[in-house]
Amino acid sequence: MIEVKDLAFSYGKDKQALRGLNFTVEDGEIFGFLGPNGSGKSTTQKILTGILKGHKGKVWLFGQDISVMHTQEFFQKIGVLFEFPYLYANLSAVDNLKYFSSFYPKAQLRDVDELLEKLEFKKDFLKKPVSSYSKGMRQRVSMARALISNPKLLFLDEPTSGLDPSGAVLFRKIIEEERRKGTTVFLTTHNMLDADLLCDRVAFIANGEIAALDTPKNLKEQNSNQHVLITYLYQGKREEKTIGTSELEMGIPFLHDGIVSIHSQEPTLEDIFIRYTGRGLG
Amino acid sequence: MKGFCSLLKKDVGLMASGKFFLMSLGFLILYTLYVNFGYVRFVNAQLFHVYLYDPAGTQETVSPQVRMVSGKEGIYTALRDDDAGIGIDASTGKPELIFYEGEEKADRFRVDYAYSSLQPSVDYHAEAVGSNTPEQKKRKEITCELLFFEIAAVGFLGIASVLFKEKSMGVIRVHAVLPIRKTLFLLSKLTVFLLSDLVFAILLTILNVGPADTAVILPAVLLQTVFLSLIMALIGLVCALLLKDFRQFTLAYLLITVFAATPVFLSANSPVKLDWIHFHPFYHIYMGLKNAYFGTITENLFYYVGCLAAIAILFAGAWYVFSKEMGKEG
Repeated sequence: MIEVKDLAFSYGKDKQALRGLNFTVEDGEIFGFLGPNGSGKSTTQKILTGILKGHKGKVWLFGQDISVMHTQEFFQKIGVLFEFPYLYANLSAVDNLKYFSSFYPKAQLRDVDELLEKLEFKKDFLKKPVSSYSKGMRQRVSMARALISNPKLLFLDEPTSGLDPSGAVLFRKIIEEERRKGTTVFLTTHNMLDADLLCDRVAFIANGEIAALDTPKNLKEQNSNQHVLITYLYQGKREEKTIGTSELEMGIPFLHDGIVSIHSQEPTLEDIFIRYTGRGLG
Repeated sequence: MKGFCSLLKKDVGLMASGKFFLMSLGFLILYTLYVNFGYVRFVNAQLFHVYLYDPAGTQETVSPQVRMVSGKEGIYTALRDDDAGIGIDASTGKPELIFYEGEEKADRFRVDYAYSSLQPSVDYHAEAVGSNTPEQKKRKEITCELLFFEIAAVGFLGIASVLFKEKSMGVIRVHAVLPIRKTLFLLSKLTVFLLSDLVFAILLTILNVGPADTAVILPAVLLQTVFLSLIMALIGLVCALLLKDFRQFTLAYLLITVFAATPVFLSANSPVKLDWIHFHPFYHIYMGLKNAYFGTITENLFYYVGCLAAIAILFAGAWYVFSKEMGKEG
């Protein structure tokens, strides 16, 4: 679906934003693009969505070179959720969606009411202006805007931002559903939980370069110290011990009266990110 | 075409919600009331009152506008209340003027005016150039000024306020990923403002110049309105896209409307001619509009080429800043 080779971009002479990115995104894959502020995430997404021109290197989308394919047909195939919910504040959710969907062929459109219902949008607010909505409600309408045209390729920038935990769970469910339908998802985020739960593969980007790219599982395994933390009871006392996983093969290698818990010492995605890039995700 | 219609509908909605059409209607009513009940009456009013004391009736051809007083003291009394007036004491048979001194040029004019009011009006018969009555001439002049002001100042502010709204809502960025030609976003705004300005020009001209004259001059007036409207709308778009907020825009607006329009009005409508005014682009546009109101077609080809070139350059500039705005961070 997406193939990027030696992608470089600079804003002016001295501000090199991307320094030779290489990655591919397969059809139907959820690909996470993770990095701190200013790392080049948004620049990459803008190049892929045709907003920024003048890059170096090669980018193919839908099997075609991006520099010649930013046509109306291309924009009909993609859906974009921006980091902020950009909507007409004077229009209602329904009117916003009707307006934005009016630019697509009718045959590819989803039903506005059905989509808003799926996103658990409060019915009382359907006809009220967006200016009266909470951030979470605006984010739901924005997500509906990105999905309304049944895109084949979905760019999501911080999709769960501004949502409460149940809203975030709902969004993750909807993204999963999209994947099941065959939609490819390019997910740009700071949110490690989203990346871990949703992404087939993730790329860590820092200073305009990809520092690591793999499945979350592989990254965690490769960076694991293969230790477990065992909490146990012995002679009436609660104790903790960290041992190598290989030592576990023969059973618990120390005296104990009972096991309280065994925790893998596998690093989180954020730990791995810091390890690769030397920077946090703030 | 369907996409363009959606953009048009949205822009009309934004303008309506911003009370733009209501504001234009308000200005139309205000201008019409001012022209018909204020300006026309005001310009027909006598500039200076003349008070004559002529007990022996030595002046035989006194204008009916001269006010007779019963004594020299009567002149002083009248001038105490009307210090711009002029008194004529003709008690000796030879008219002698009495007035408060003012600025030299104005005083010369007052003296000539006072003496002329004692002369028979036939002596002042001159060949009338043009077919406009003095009132019609004034009506056309003021309608032209008001139309120029409306488009240059009010319309310019209108388009910028609509764009600032969209800019603050961030929706310009959404249009960057919609399946439409991005130029249509600008063209739709230009179309709405152009149509609104044309309707305004038609109504203002009919209401203040009169339907019969309007029928003759309207095509030329509308052509000049198209040039002015597009140029001002494009400047408004560029400023709104370039400047950070409405406060900065207000400063630019003041610069453009005050410093650009004032010398134009001054040079075009008063005896004051600034040496450099021919280098002022709005002077030529204003004169084009004024000529249109007086039925004189601007024949200079360079003027039309200049207007079209200005529109093309401004559109390219607007497109450039619009593209940059689409790629901005949130």
